[in-house]
Amino acid sequence: MQCLRAPLSDLSALEGQRACAEWQQPGQEQSDYHPYDADYCMQSLCPVETAFRALHGCNGGGENENHGNVHGSNDCFSNAWPDIVSSMHCPVVGAAASVEETSVNASSSSSSRKRKSENNRRSKENSGGSDGKDDSNCKRIKEETGVGAATPEAKRPNKRKEESADASKENDKAPKSDYIHVRARRGQATDSHSLAERVRRERISQRMKYLQDLVPGCSKITGKAGMLDEIINYVQSLQRQVEFLSMKLAAVNPMMDINIDSLFGGREINPTCKSASIPMIGMSSELLDQSYLQFGSLQHDMFMGSSDLLLRPNVNPAAAVSDTSLGSCLNVNGSSVWNTNLQNVYGVEFQLGRGTALPFQSLQGNLLPNNLKMEM
Amino acid sequence: MQVTEAFKHAFLKQMLLGFQASAVSTKSMGFQERKNAIKLSADVAMAVARGSRKWTRGLIAGLSEERQNRSFLRLILGEQYESLLKPCHSSWKIPRCKKIVRRSLRICWRKQKKNQSGVLARTLVEKRTQELKRLVPGGKSMDGSSLLDETLDYVLSLRAQVDLMQSLLTTFEASKLRSHSKRRLPERKASYVSK
Repeated sequence: MQCLRAPLSDLSALEGQRACAEWQQPGQEQSDYHPYDADYCMQSLCPVETAFRALHGCNGGGENENHGNVHGSNDCFSNAWPDIVSSMHCPVVGAAASVEETSVNASSSSSSRKRKSENNRRSKENSGGSDGKDDSNCKRIKEETGVGAATPEAKRPNKRKEESADASKENDKAPKSDYIHVRARRGQATDSHSLAERVRRERISQRMKYLQDLVPGCSKITGKAGMLDEIINYVQSLQRQVEFLSMKLAAVNPMMDINIDSLFGGREINPTCKSASIPMIGMSSELLDQSYLQFGSLQHDMFMGSSDLLLRPNVNPAAAVSDTSLGSCLNVNGSSVWNTNLQNVYGVEFQLGRGTALPFQSLQGNLLPNNLKMEM
Repeated sequence: MQVTEAFKHAFLKQMLLGFQASAVSTKSMGFQERKNAIKLSADVAMAVARGSRKWTRGLIAGLSEERQNRSFLRLILGEQYESLLKPCHSSWKIPRCKKIVRRSLRICWRKQKKNQSGVLARTLVEKRTQELKRLVPGGKSMDGSSLLDETLDYVLSLRAQVDLMQSLLTTFEASKLRSHSKRRLPERKASYVSK
């Protein structure tokens, strides 16, 4: 399940990058971005990227040549992590700067981090000065900050005419300054409110995508309302399952007094442990082994460690006798031990458990190779 | 969130500690009582194993609203209990300038007047968001995107809880069966010897 891996890794990557983005200096190159370019960006952005690259060919001027490559990689950044674009984290921009290595001035604003609204206001001023024909469609990319404004100014009208034909998308291009330069989509408003709203919407749609991968049977549903419906149903069913299982656990009477100290080596609230239950604990270790083998490696690894601690020498003679009973009670499809009512109920529960356990298992298997984990 | 072995381990440990603390196996209690105690310790174990998240805080706050749970919670959580009950920072309102808020509301309203088409879709989504807020613990004070975040986390933890409880159940039941069969053996042996 390739698709599962990348988005969830990106979720954790998001958090990790937010954390490290705050600490990194602008200008440092971040090689971490590149692995995610391949995975996530390629899946979702190929058509857009190629379109953009194709259009870039029509742009003249040496200044644009450098930007071409950066655009490509920056597209991935910005589209994969739109909320980084929206936030005032300049290292993304700074990374682009280092990659590009253009000679444009790091002027007074390079040290300060300006707000996006201010950026928008400035762009509005600039665009208001020249013809406002294109402005409803696109914001112009700013190439300088303050110093050296004269020479690029002259070039800008020409570039505007060329670039107005772009089928553009969001793109933080600014190599030189610390602004977050955003290029609005064609036919969309560019004021700060709608931008913020668009960013918010994209964030939500990103989360919905993750949830879509998580909730089984959601891959076909596309609308937000339908997705939310499925999520609600799934959460409700999980909660009902917990209720049901706690009821069943309550019915298992008496419950075993598992010696927690030997299991985990941690503290024990209730120090009194019945001696009568100890031989039963010895038995349970074997059971634990076998039952969890059936459920797959998930729980198996967990309980193997604990069962080693519990293993007692007198278990083995009993093993041969108990095998048949064990086999019968762990048989999913039919069991002679249970009466029919209990069997049906148990069978359903097993299937439910299988249903949740298996995607859970695949999730686990795909996530394990990733190095990034969210801090808990 | 990644469901790691450490998480499952901590979860199981907390749950078993909880069972011990509420003495479900030793005390003689009614069926409903026992079931509630088991569910309580399972939920608390899930919250404790996950750590500090909005939904975990909401869950513990919700559980502590009932008096009978409070002693158990205090026992399990210790000093963390008091700190968890304090209102968390995210629920505090961000101080915003009224003029700016009014201006942005006016703009949004003007835009809404223009496009009436999406109203139905929006109300549907709104309804469902409200429903989801009710389901996810602590959801009332969350906004759209963080709600989805917390739901993601919560679903993963719920799944882990279900798996854990299921495996516990099979262990207990299987070993109970075994103990029954074992008990029958010595009887047969005894009768054989006597013959």
